Amino acid sequence: MSETAPLSAEPLSTGVSTVRRGGAVRRLLRHPLGLASSAVLAAIVLGVLLAPVLSPQGPEVSSLRDAFAGPRAGHPLGFDSAGRDVLSRLLYGGRNTLSGVLLALAVALALGVPAGLVAGYRGGRFDAASSWIVNLVMALPAMVVLLASRAIVGPTVWVLMVVLGVLVSPNFFRLVRGIVVGVRGELYVDAAKVSGLSDLRIVGRHVLIVVRAPIIILMALVAGIAVGLQAGLEFLGIGSGDLPTWGAMLNEAFKNIQRAPGLLLWPGLALGLTNAALVLFAAALRDVLEDRGATVSPRRRRTPVEPPRSVAGERAELLSVRDLAVSYGSREVVRGVDLDVSAGEIVGLVGESGSGKSQTAFSILGILPEGGRVSRGSVTVRGREIVGLAEREHRALRGDVIAYVPQEPMSNLDPAFTIGSQLVEPIRVKLGLSRAEARAKALDLLRQVEIADPERVFGMYPHEISGGMAQRVLIAGAMSCDPELLIADEPTTALDVMVQAEVLGLLRRLQRSRGLGVLLVTHNLGVVADLCDRVAVMSEGRVVETGPVAQVLHEPRDPYTRRLLDAVLDDAPAREPWTPPADSPGSPGRPDPEDSQDPKDSQKPKDSQDSQEVAR
Amino acid sequence: MLSFIARRIAAGVPLLFVISFVTYTLLSIPDIDVARQLLGQGAPNDLVEAKNKALGLDRPVLVQYVDWLAHALRGDFGTSWFTSENVLVAIQNRVPVTLSLMVGVTLVTAVAAFLLGAWAGVRRGAVDRFVQMFAVAGYALPPFLVTLVLVLVLAVQLGLFPAIGYIGITESFGGWLSTVTLPVLSLSVNAVAGVAQQVRGSVIDVMRQDYVRTLRARGLPPWRIVLRHVLRNASAPALSVLGMQFVGILGSAVLVEQIFGLPGLGSMTVAYTTRGDIPVIMGLVMVTVVLVVVVNLVVDVLIGWLNPKARVA
Amino acid sequence: MNRPARVPLALVAFLTAASALAGCGGSGGGAAGEGSKTLSIATMTLPQSLDPKDAIGSALPFFQAVYDTLIKREPDGSYSPMLATEWKYDDKRTELTLTLRGDVKFDDGTPFNAAAVKANLERFQKGGGGQARTLADLQEVKVVDDTHVTLVLKQPNPAMLFYLSDAAGLMANPAAFAKGDSLRNSPDGTGPYDLDAGTTTIGTRWEFKRAPKYWGPKLPYDKVAISFFDNETAIVNGLKTGQVNAALLQNTDQQASVTGDAKLKTIKQEFDFQGLLLFDRAGMVTPALRDPRVRQAINYAIDRKTMLDKIRQGQGAVTSQVFGPKAQAFKPELDTYYPYDPAKAKQLVKDAGKEGFTLKLPRVSAIVSDALAASLQSDLAAAGIKLEWENVDQGTAVKRIFRDRGFSGMVMNMGQSPIDWVVVGELVLPGTFNMFGYTDDTVKDLLPKIQVKDAKDARADLQALNEHLVKDAWFVPFYRMTYLHVSDGSVTIKPQDGMAVPSIYNYAPARQG
Repeated sequence: MSETAPLSAEPLSTGVSTVRRGGAVRRLLRHPLGLASSAVLAAIVLGVLLAPVLSPQGPEVSSLRDAFAGPRAGHPLGFDSAGRDVLSRLLYGGRNTLSGVLLALAVALALGVPAGLVAGYRGGRFDAASSWIVNLVMALPAMVVLLASRAIVGPTVWVLMVVLGVLVSPNFFRLVRGIVVGVRGELYVDAAKVSGLSDLRIVGRHVLIVVRAPIIILMALVAGIAVGLQAGLEFLGIGSGDLPTWGAMLNEAFKNIQRAPGLLLWPGLALGLTNAALVLFAAALRDVLEDRGATVSPRRRRTPVEPPRSVAGERAELLSVRDLAVSYGSREVVRGVDLDVSAGEIVGLVGESGSGKSQTAFSILGILPEGGRVSRGSVTVRGREIVGLAEREHRALRGDVIAYVPQEPMSNLDPAFTIGSQLVEPIRVKLGLSRAEARAKALDLLRQVEIADPERVFGMYPHEISGGMAQRVLIAGAMSCDPELLIADEPTTALDVMVQAEVLGLLRRLQRSRGLGVLLVTHNLGVVADLCDRVAVMSEGRVVETGPVAQVLHEPRDPYTRRLLDAVLDDAPAREPWTPPADSPGSPGRPDPEDSQDPKDSQKPKDSQDSQEVAR
Repeated sequence: MLSFIARRIAAGVPLLFVISFVTYTLLSIPDIDVARQLLGQGAPNDLVEAKNKALGLDRPVLVQYVDWLAHALRGDFGTSWFTSENVLVAIQNRVPVTLSLMVGVTLVTAVAAFLLGAWAGVRRGAVDRFVQMFAVAGYALPPFLVTLVLVLVLAVQLGLFPAIGYIGITESFGGWLSTVTLPVLSLSVNAVAGVAQQVRGSVIDVMRQDYVRTLRARGLPPWRIVLRHVLRNASAPALSVLGMQFVGILGSAVLVEQIFGLPGLGSMTVAYTTRGDIPVIMGLVMVTVVLVVVVNLVVDVLIGWLNPKARVA
Repeated sequence: MNRPARVPLALVAFLTAASALAGCGGSGGGAAGEGSKTLSIATMTLPQSLDPKDAIGSALPFFQAVYDTLIKREPDGSYSPMLATEWKYDDKRTELTLTLRGDVKFDDGTPFNAAAVKANLERFQKGGGGQARTLADLQEVKVVDDTHVTLVLKQPNPAMLFYLSDAAGLMANPAAFAKGDSLRNSPDGTGPYDLDAGTTTIGTRWEFKRAPKYWGPKLPYDKVAISFFDNETAIVNGLKTGQVNAALLQNTDQQASVTGDAKLKTIKQEFDFQGLLLFDRAGMVTPALRDPRVRQAINYAIDRKTMLDKIRQGQGAVTSQVFGPKAQAFKPELDTYYPYDPAKAKQLVKDAGKEGFTLKLPRVSAIVSDALAASLQSDLAAAGIKLEWENVDQGTAVKRIFRDRGFSGMVMNMGQSPIDWVVVGELVLPGTFNMFGYTDDTVKDLLPKIQVKDAKDARADLQALNEHLVKDAWFVPFYRMTYLHVSDGSVTIKPQDGMAVPSIYNYAPARQG
């Protein structure tokens, strides 16, 4: 039996699995495999529901004289070993098989989901007790329990399915509990609590919605297991008795495999199709919910890059961008950006979220997210054109010519490796130093980014250090191969105000001592004023204004720049808890990606706060 | 770490007691008339009663259970009612067979599923679709059909492998390999499909993590990023599934054991439970629970090793 | 795209390596290598133990390897000397005197003698085993001297010699009786082989090696291994790869897969018949069955020919009698006594005034296939009888049928013993399959006459009994089933008369050529 399908809750990162009612269904149907599997499942369910109409005769009607007879008028699929109509048995058998599956699912859901909700939401003793019971159920020898229950209650498929439901309910429990624990701490649940909603309503309105999709996926997988188990048990002679099921049909065909191998075909096909459709359905739903996009093939498709429409002005030696456009499919998110960074110069790139500033930075580095590509323009680094450069050559520039400091310090360190090994790795790979040399250099770098106890931090894991320290580590990592151009993408946004200042000071000192060129991507005009020599303002994928900092900040020419400046002057409070819009309970913490032009930024709730901050 | 392991093992002990009680009761409820089965269909009632008495079946279930427990605690699991085997010896004889299957399938699955899953998750596009289709086919094919085809083609037609039987690994390594290869392959088709799907999903998730982009920005070669960073981070969920499958083989191997005539725990469980041979089943149950506890522990330790954040103090 | 090729290549390499290794190391898989003289038999019967008191007929080969019986049964069913060299009834046929060999010893030196026979028979009779009732008629065992023993019977029993060549005749070392249950796993007999404890895994594979000092003629194999399988698919595959040398196939589909293979040798045997055994002729559970017309109607209603063709793929012969062709009671014309006649069946039910009555039968799916269940249901429905199947597992079936007496009959496969009295004992005398103890005047009249004579001499009475049972429709037999003895080509098998499985003595190496 196939007890082997993945029953794990892990594939869905907890908390972020958000479905909007219409959206998910629509996207699922746009997903080719999702559409195909849904169609197959629908057809099977329909056929089975219409069994009385579609069947030539009752499933039990038998005439032994017709046994093994082939198809003929009125009996398109022929007869089985007992002279029963194969089509009728297939349809009625599907009824029983699928009813059994539904029964198993109902039992598993009824046992697993409420308990998981309460255990995850309340915690405490109930959680401890139910988790212990779950461990117990999971350690029960399934086959013994199945057979014993059957011996007690009787040899019907329903008993087997109820027991199966009990045995798989822990999977639902754990899935739901895990997600609820993750969601419990989220802001919008807190907010709901503050606003005095009862626990029941909170669970109903906010929590249940988050767990809905993963449950559907798990249901599809369990359904597949239930179908497989029915067939497997029939094969062992532990069957459904007289009741026609696909498993029973398959088993009966197997017993006559020499005489009439063709009998295997239909029940086998029905089982296989159902199983395949369920698996595909789950996979498609998962893809849709996780925005995995099933069919993009990145880096493969080489659509020619258009040359820049105009190459205006003098181009800087270190980095020069002209008419850069970045597209996702047919959607252009950067639409003609001009930029220059010279050695020893700090250039600010400002704009609100979704203005395309991060995409610009990524395209210079050659690390656009999957699906994105440079569709037009020219980028030169040290005078060399890098648009259209082979990945290998582009990679050679990264690290030792262009370096990158990311925005979110914690998520940009690999949680599985120590700080030290993450620093040492690029040094060894890019510079070819020995292990000891690389270690010495890494420790030196940690010292340079003003970390007090480099030896100790060297051996620590990312989750053991603070955000500020992590950002220093990332800056050290960027410096590790002595680059000439540093691209810093909102390097302080995620940090406390105090730490922000320290990190900016550090960046400044490093830049000066090494004569680095820096492209500082930020939405914070204060940072720009403090740090930058020149600034470029971006809006909707375009640079609307470029110039020396003093000039742009004091005499903005573009209306957008002016609005941006006004917003800062209003000096609204830095951050306030974000509450979900009351009209869309289904999308907590995530703005509609359709509104945003920057697909990467749009996935982070934080960005929406940031954009509010800028826009105010 | 050691105290963590000790605590987990300690937590397993009450589990053993509760499960042994639950299964003993479950097994005793259906009145399947062991004595009459033993004596043959038409045995007169006085003989049946005598046999029941001899087996101790005339006592209340609770007394029977306590008696079993008292003996079991002293390491005496009794003898089979139906074949007179010593339960411990019988299980000892069969454990290597099942363990061979479990370890074999897990190894094959781990290697193949990680290759396929990572390949699909990294390359996407056509490769992804190919792996997806493979996985779907793996699910859709009835397991016994795969097994039968393997036996008929590779063993019966081509004679590359023995069609039935098991040779102990201590007896002859080559013999062992030849007897377990086909069963392991049969069981792996389904397992690889499942785990590969899982690995693919995790790889895609990890590939989209910020730190992967940062690693790319550091100029590291993609294969290095995938092998060192992506796979390691993606393997924790896959490991959980692999662990579940390892235990699941106890049940799912029944079919394969029957077709290959392998004396394993799976077919033993089915055969002896159907007959109601309580001493043997109880022994099997105890072995299963211990196995589950140990495997879960190993998986947790492994996940902790892979993912320091999940490490338990 | 060099990656996709690598995985299959690695797989092929692995397969090749594995099979190559198998080639050099894998001779222990049970294959009978050239000249190793091991006989590997596959069976689907599990012996409860190797203690003779637990022996039952279908597991007899396990016991024959280690124990000898008092009387040997030849393949054709005739009796020949084994531990007993002569046997003789007195005139009243209530005293059976056996002359024993005087030169046989058990392994520990304990002599085999009359006292040993007495101890064995008494232990078997009171041992509570499945076959203990075969010695129910034994009143006393008298030791005459070391080599002579007399069995005193309560009443004549024409099957007694058969029983002494069967489970009841297995002789174990009386010295072992005192050692508790030691015989269960350490059999101690005078037989041609010893159980090889080192290589035997009880429950899956029993290996027997030649007993060094066997008193009798040597059997052709140095080693005999009997492996247990729970399905015939594995057995067939084993036969095809030569890992199994000999086995019995009951399933017609498996038989079909074997007959196509030129390497394999097959021999047919008809032993079991399949039929509906009606216990409830007194109408205790289903009152309608008290009327013989109803029972006859059932016989007319079923289409035996089609059933045989479709369910057994034609392998067998339709029959209306429970006695087999080797029995004295057998009358060939009775095989076709009940032709398929739905109209007559319907009329008979109508005449009896029992239209639409419900007959409830237990269904054990291992015996009653889908085809059988469905066809009986529709055939009986056509005669106005509603057949209801109650699904029962093998375990609960025994309880529901024999303890609770919850059914009026059951469909089963049953051996047709050539010994008439065995058949009478099982089906006609009150007991196992006549659990309600039904009888009638004709039977009461015939039985005493049959009991006191050799079957050959009682032929007329036996045939009269058979004819009465058929005409009064005591049973509803369907057909005798052809079973197939299959060897991998290295063994010749002689089917054993009166047993589905051949005796251990019936195997010999096939002459190569």
